Amino acid sequence: MSKGGGIYVAGDSWVHRLDGAVKLILWLIWTVVVFMFLDLRLFAVMIAIGVALLWSARIPLRKMAFLFWFLIFFTFTNAIFILLITPTFGTTLTGTNTPLIPLGYNTINKETLFYVLTLSAKYITLLPLTLVFILTTHPSRFAASLNKVGVPYKIAYAVSIAFRYIPDLTQEFKHILNSLSARGLGITKEDGTIAQRMKNLTLVVVPLLQSSLHHIDAVSNAMDLRGFGAHPKRTWYMGMKMSSVDKTVLLFILLLLALAIYLKVSVLKGFWYPL
Amino acid sequence: MQPVISFQNYTFRYKSQSEPTLRNINLDIQSGEKIWIAGPSGSGKSTLAHCINGLIPFSYGGESSGILYVGGKEAAKLSIFELSRHVGTILQDQDAQFVGLSVGEDVAFQMENEQVPHSQMKQDVYASLTQVGMEEFESQGPQDLSGGQKQSVSLAGILSTEADILLFDEPLANLDPASGARAMKLIDHIHQSTGKTIIIIEHRVEDVLQQPIDRIIVMSEGEIVRDQTPDQLLAEGALSKYGLRQPLHLQAMKYAGITMGGMKGLSDPEGNVHPSIGEELNAWAAGIPFDPPHVEGERLLELDHLTFGYDKSRPVIKDVSLTLSRGETVALLGNNGAGKSTLSGLITGIYKPDRGEIRYRGESIASWSIRKRGAAIGYVMQNPNHMITQHLIRDEVSIGLRARGITGDEMTAKTDEALRTCGLYPYRNWPVSALSYGQKKRLSIASILVLKPEIMILDEPTAGQDYKHYKEFMDFIHQLAGQGMAFIFITHDMHLALEYASRAVVLSGGEIIAANHVANVLSNPVVTKKAHLREVSLSRFAKAQQLQAPERFVQAFVDYEKRGMQA
Repeated sequence: MSKGGGIYVAGDSWVHRLDGAVKLILWLIWTVVVFMFLDLRLFAVMIAIGVALLWSARIPLRKMAFLFWFLIFFTFTNAIFILLITPTFGTTLTGTNTPLIPLGYNTINKETLFYVLTLSAKYITLLPLTLVFILTTHPSRFAASLNKVGVPYKIAYAVSIAFRYIPDLTQEFKHILNSLSARGLGITKEDGTIAQRMKNLTLVVVPLLQSSLHHIDAVSNAMDLRGFGAHPKRTWYMGMKMSSVDKTVLLFILLLLALAIYLKVSVLKGFWYPL
Repeated sequence: MQPVISFQNYTFRYKSQSEPTLRNINLDIQSGEKIWIAGPSGSGKSTLAHCINGLIPFSYGGESSGILYVGGKEAAKLSIFELSRHVGTILQDQDAQFVGLSVGEDVAFQMENEQVPHSQMKQDVYASLTQVGMEEFESQGPQDLSGGQKQSVSLAGILSTEADILLFDEPLANLDPASGARAMKLIDHIHQSTGKTIIIIEHRVEDVLQQPIDRIIVMSEGEIVRDQTPDQLLAEGALSKYGLRQPLHLQAMKYAGITMGGMKGLSDPEGNVHPSIGEELNAWAAGIPFDPPHVEGERLLELDHLTFGYDKSRPVIKDVSLTLSRGETVALLGNNGAGKSTLSGLITGIYKPDRGEIRYRGESIASWSIRKRGAAIGYVMQNPNHMITQHLIRDEVSIGLRARGITGDEMTAKTDEALRTCGLYPYRNWPVSALSYGQKKRLSIASILVLKPEIMILDEPTAGQDYKHYKEFMDFIHQLAGQGMAFIFITHDMHLALEYASRAVVLSGGEIIAANHVANVLSNPVVTKKAHLREVSLSRFAKAQQLQAPERFVQAFVDYEKRGMQA
């Protein structure tokens, strides 16, 4: 497997073998469902399913660490802000008010605390499936999957091209920055005030842009010369036929969606507040 | 038989230009021919290629007159996609051409676009990768491949289509000498085994001539000025008239007064072996006073047993020691991945050595930042466009001074001085975009020179430049060295090393495997092979002619040319 894929983690679990398009649909519907509800019980169940999927993909923990901590940090900050800025927001959802923690200018109530807990769980519910999708979908198969779910192939291929050339661009950025640093136009403390350093950073843009434009010209010539865009459709070398597992999973997803709609309409209509 | 390509009174002018780039071209190429189109930059050879593969008018518009037939059809009536079924193009930039995320995908790219079914694609990819000897790399990504390997993959991609004309647009420009030789061999092998028409656009003479060529077309200022067999053209010595370089072994024969008219196989340095030629060459070389370059200036830079690895358990620089004195020019040679860029990164301070020390004028610079080192040791990137950030020429030079707190009259004086040295003073108030590539290259030197470094590292200083521009630029560097500046050339251009470096240091696998006079190093087949270089043609020529002292002969040639240069 190429190193260029960046975050893809090679593996041979059934989750890896699942068609990229199926995983994409699963992720989309999962996200829609999460946003439909505000119910801690449902989120707990979904987190459990998500973690089970993640576990069965056997992805090393360190690969997930960054995204995991990023999301925890985001959720935590978000929760703090809600508590500090709208400490009684929960009341608008439940109609009750049980003061809990005095802040001086206001008091955080039990309802808001529970609301923040539910909201944090909501964000965290998104995490396992997002990880499954981005870590187990081969970048080469991703473009083919996008095309299969109806995205025009020119747009789908643009994603593939991005995967291909972003590492090159990063390398070039570093190279240019180093050469500017040697001329005294770097971005370290030694190079001056924050404003000066920011200005120096913008200097990189000129050569980087120039070389990117040149690169785009060369790449698009290369693609034209090899018939890209000649026909309304194309085939994919890395595309896969849907297996019976794929079809089963797809069926499950649709059933889950139906179940979710049923729950939303008749059972778990609003914010679940047991206290 | 009907030619596969036929230009008839063809003239082309780019939309943005007032003068035509191609003038009155008449050229017939027969099926199965192997043609080399040569010419200096700006001669119109790339434009000619663009007309054949359809990039003109698809990507580059303009006005044309006359007719061009490709595969018996009028090119103007074919789309670029239809043309791509006749003409497969290998571009100069291997990275831009490699659009797939893996080798297999890249080979399949055109088939994907032609909607070939999946199962057949797999088979065809494997078959064409086998033709270029890359079948084991099917699942590798471009990051794992060398430039030469990427090019082979591109070639496999073309072979998977039915194109019967293969067009190579400067295929050797970014390759080290060994990969270049392999590429020419592969092209020849494909020519032999498939009988396809081969068109090679190049200005690197010796490298192309390593394999047989049916016909050379020389272009100059938009016109075809020669259409001959290699032997005719070489015997006449006409290449140098058109900004190209006569192969060194033929140049040597000329200096020795040997007439080449009627000789066959002139392009092969090891052909035409004859005792009488050997005698004349020996006599000529004996007449050139032996004058090895000798620099005994102050020591500027010392690398003392440097070891470094991005991952400490796997060093990429192993125990490297090297000194550089005032006025010295050292060529740092080696293939991609040998550690050349890493070593220059250690000197400029991007990386810190795991072991060993770097000293500048006897003082350790371990604690110096990139910025501080930059004032003593300048680094010039290969592509000047990667260094230029300002709109006006003068600003580009002075910005480095301003960053170091030098302003006002002092800044102006220093800027003017650097511009004068680099011959750019008359253009000081021009926008950068008005400069040619060679002038931009000088501007990037000026922007470093203004900081008054005593050492300059030049990364591939002549890449992609034809002989005329190469010589102009390197003569300028030679002058600066004469004023006491020390240079490190990071390069795999062996002519550059031979003619402009006082010493060659060869890196291989992170170790120095040779460091000596350039003629000595580049005449050593063991060293050159290990470092993916090639023994210089002159040395192979001398050995084939069984000269008394081949290395001495190479040195005599260099000295003779240098004297010519100074005269």
